[in-house]
Amino acid sequence: MIDYLKEYFDFKAFFLCLALVGMGLVSVYSATYDAGAAAIFDRQLIWAGGGLVLLLVMALFPIKTLQRLAFPTYILMLVLLLVVLLIGKTTSGSKSWFGIGGLGGQPSEFAKVATILALAAFLSKTTTSLSNVRHLVIAAGIVLVPIVLVLMQPDLGTSVVFFTMLLPILYWGGASNFVLAAIFAPIIVAAGALFGTFALLFTLALAGAMLYWTRENRFAAAVALGITLAVALSVQTVYDRMPAYQQKRIATFLNSELDPRGAGYNVVQSKVAIGSGGVFGKGYLQGTQTQLNFIPEQWTDFIFCVPGEEFGFAGASLVLICFTALLLHGVHVAGLSKNKFASAAAIGIVGVFATHMLINIGMSMGILPVIGIPLPFLSYGGSALMANMAMVGLLMNFYSNRKER
Amino acid sequence: MGAILLIFAVLMVRLYQLQLLYHGELDKKSEENSIRALIKEPIRGYIYDRTGKLVVDVGPSYTVMIVPSEFDKRTMSLLSSLLEMEPRAIEERIARARAYSPYLPSRLKRDITFQSLAALEEHLPLLSGITYQVESKRSYPTKARAPHLLGYSREISDAQLSHVSAYYRQGDIIGTAGLEARYEPTLRGEKGFEYVSVNSRGQVIGSFEEGMRDVESKEGFDLILGMDVDLQVFAESLMTVNGYTGALVAMDPANGSILAMVSKPDFDPSVMSGVTPSDLWARLNMDPDKPLFNRAALTRYPPGSTFKMVLAAAALEEGIINEQFRVNCTGGFRFGNRVWKDLHVHGSTNVVEAIQRSCNVFFYTLMFKVGFDTWTKYGLKFGFGRTTGIDTGEETTGLLPSTAYYDTRYGKGKWTQGNLVSLAIGQGELGVSPLQMARYAAALANGGTLHQPHAVLFMNNKRTNIMEEVPHAETPMNLSPTTIALLREGMRRVVQEPGGTASLARVKGIESAGKTGTSENPHGNDHAWYVGFAPFEHPSIAVAVLLENSGYGGSKAAPLAGMVVEKYLYRELRRPVPRPASPKADSVATVTQSLRENP
Repeated sequence: MIDYLKEYFDFKAFFLCLALVGMGLVSVYSATYDAGAAAIFDRQLIWAGGGLVLLLVMALFPIKTLQRLAFPTYILMLVLLLVVLLIGKTTSGSKSWFGIGGLGGQPSEFAKVATILALAAFLSKTTTSLSNVRHLVIAAGIVLVPIVLVLMQPDLGTSVVFFTMLLPILYWGGASNFVLAAIFAPIIVAAGALFGTFALLFTLALAGAMLYWTRENRFAAAVALGITLAVALSVQTVYDRMPAYQQKRIATFLNSELDPRGAGYNVVQSKVAIGSGGVFGKGYLQGTQTQLNFIPEQWTDFIFCVPGEEFGFAGASLVLICFTALLLHGVHVAGLSKNKFASAAAIGIVGVFATHMLINIGMSMGILPVIGIPLPFLSYGGSALMANMAMVGLLMNFYSNRKER
Repeated sequence: MGAILLIFAVLMVRLYQLQLLYHGELDKKSEENSIRALIKEPIRGYIYDRTGKLVVDVGPSYTVMIVPSEFDKRTMSLLSSLLEMEPRAIEERIARARAYSPYLPSRLKRDITFQSLAALEEHLPLLSGITYQVESKRSYPTKARAPHLLGYSREISDAQLSHVSAYYRQGDIIGTAGLEARYEPTLRGEKGFEYVSVNSRGQVIGSFEEGMRDVESKEGFDLILGMDVDLQVFAESLMTVNGYTGALVAMDPANGSILAMVSKPDFDPSVMSGVTPSDLWARLNMDPDKPLFNRAALTRYPPGSTFKMVLAAAALEEGIINEQFRVNCTGGFRFGNRVWKDLHVHGSTNVVEAIQRSCNVFFYTLMFKVGFDTWTKYGLKFGFGRTTGIDTGEETTGLLPSTAYYDTRYGKGKWTQGNLVSLAIGQGELGVSPLQMARYAAALANGGTLHQPHAVLFMNNKRTNIMEEVPHAETPMNLSPTTIALLREGMRRVVQEPGGTASLARVKGIESAGKTGTSENPHGNDHAWYVGFAPFEHPSIAVAVLLENSGYGGSKAAPLAGMVVEKYLYRELRRPVPRPASPKADSVATVTQSLRENP
């Protein structure tokens, strides 16, 4: 019986997801316990219930229907992103949230899922070939349109996540190394340009080398290199012309410790919280950093501090292990799946989760810039929780139907 | 797959680094973040005299405290009138308090009167963020002032804060002069701490670990002085009533402890406790009489004839003369082309008589027999030209000229032996402090032991409950008994025998010894010196008196010393009050009278 169920029900993804959501609820409870924000936990609990329903629905949805609905859903999401730009509420500086009556949400969270599915659907069409430049541009466009809309909110963090789903899917979809390198090169030089001349020269050399080794024909390589140089120079020029305070803002964004009272404050406190946890932590609800609210709105982007401080290395590494297991399982499912759409979508989902995990936990521990993106399943936030659980549902779906073509 | 494992590895390594490698450091930061220590002030140590009388007490003082974040600016005018403080001054204090912590109490005004406190308490419900606490401040229950010896403690200044240990913070009291400063670490005690949890905005949430980690404050240790407070009061009034400027130091010759130390003019140390109004402080500082200046330890005047025993000791000890050695005093001494006059024609004089009558010609002669370097050597031996190591604070080394000194000052070969003539009778560049002179008198009294003068005999260690003796150095001078006997006999005759210069220092029923001196002052009246000790056989008090610009030592300084000795040995004045001619000395009678009535 169980063996039979195992064949069709993805226990692994399901329980890993439940474990992460459970750890999230425990953490949110602790973070809001003494902050006069008890309602936050109650809401998160309700959303987790909603997420569970959504997960099961996604797990049972026929793949073909999903594939067919991918584009219409994508278009719907783009419309929603536009609407939110026009009538959305401004919360903490960006227009990303809108509500009708008592219900509300962040369309960008669901737009991620829709974009993954749309891209997967496009790549799985038999007529699509990634060696065709026009198709490549369409694929990139599918991702770039929501990126532009999200950037206009402006929500830098989420747009970065959109971008990172592109590479793994293209890679999985059979894009040549040159294509990947041509997409990757402008990004690293743009980043390099912000870190100063040395970093710029280094990333330029790296980009040049990547393009050279992966080149298919000289013309394309030259064009890609030209674009890369143009990006580097324009970033450099724009940066140089910025007023000093804006440059400082970028500098502190890249290295928040330059500004220990502003953005750096959170990072310093977050590092103190995690580091003071030690091996087994200070005990549940005993973390002084967490309980005394040293990190503002810790239940959103800095939720990782809670397991770090209160359960120590044991707790924090358990979170990391669960995440990594889920991601590896996702890659496994993508490999198992005989359906090209399902396979590409699974990789997209893994890419999104991996990006979130790396950036969020990395910034909590002070090794990455503070880009405000939540930690999937753990951070407070209804849209994100439900969208993430829906994506796990999709993974489970792809597992169940892995033999379907 | 590989990318995911790489991400996992990077994050795990960082997690390991933070939680295991840097754990200690970050854990400490987290504790500092969430725990604040509220300070519990210790009680400063008391100071007693040698008879157990309380000299420096601790009394309650009311300090108004403010929690800046809770203060309502609309109540400023009320607060300003209650505290009699300008709103601007209050705002300034609040700004400083806010810099320490907006959420913890800081001192707003120290030492408000009980009346102000009563008025404040009545309005306290209206004044949010204002509280008061009882702290301690110095009070002085006896009539003794002794401000230069006792010193004072004051609210720590910004300048002090920047170079003292981190123990202190704004508003703390710190010993700033005298014993209060020297024994600061002993007297102050140790602050206690009450640990409280605070949130990220610094608001107190509650006690930390139910107060398990709180530290009680530790009381400061008490000091027991060598001072006899009755003698101190008596000596101070002798100086005050006569309007003398100068110093008086009385010392126990057996151990060098200070029985009384007076420097006049002085000030009442109680004005320094609590809050010293800045105008009063300025007045003390600017006063041309320099009341803050400790004349007992810091003035430097030529000792005059009081120094003659040093030269006599050198001559006797070096075998240059013996008791039979005589000089025929014709009333003058020729050196080079100049004749140095003596006050009298003393005729044939031996060393004892020379001291008794203060014969200058004898000592001029002796100086050239002994030689400059030997004289300097014996000056050093008696403790001149160097600090005494007293525990009351600053002191002068004085100036004991030497070959090296003149070589530096005038150049090698550019000075003559003519300088020695002045030095022979304690004049010229020679400079000594009353404190050094008291030690010198004590050494002559006790037969040749130089003690480190000290005000504090014991400290009462409140942790171990042991009365700890405060150690001091004593240096045997290794003078031969014959030398000592001759010097002492000379000094005895100065007081007790007809023809001595200090008959006014006599005390009925007690044999005393001493030596007068007059310090030539090119700028005005001479300074009067007297050093002495009593009783002659078993001395228990040595005295040095310096009266600035008051003339001869014999007539002004000697009677003062005599009365101090009498007061100390009899605990009261028994002498028939001397009837000196000068009107100023009349007031000595007044003070004796008044002291008999109010002991």
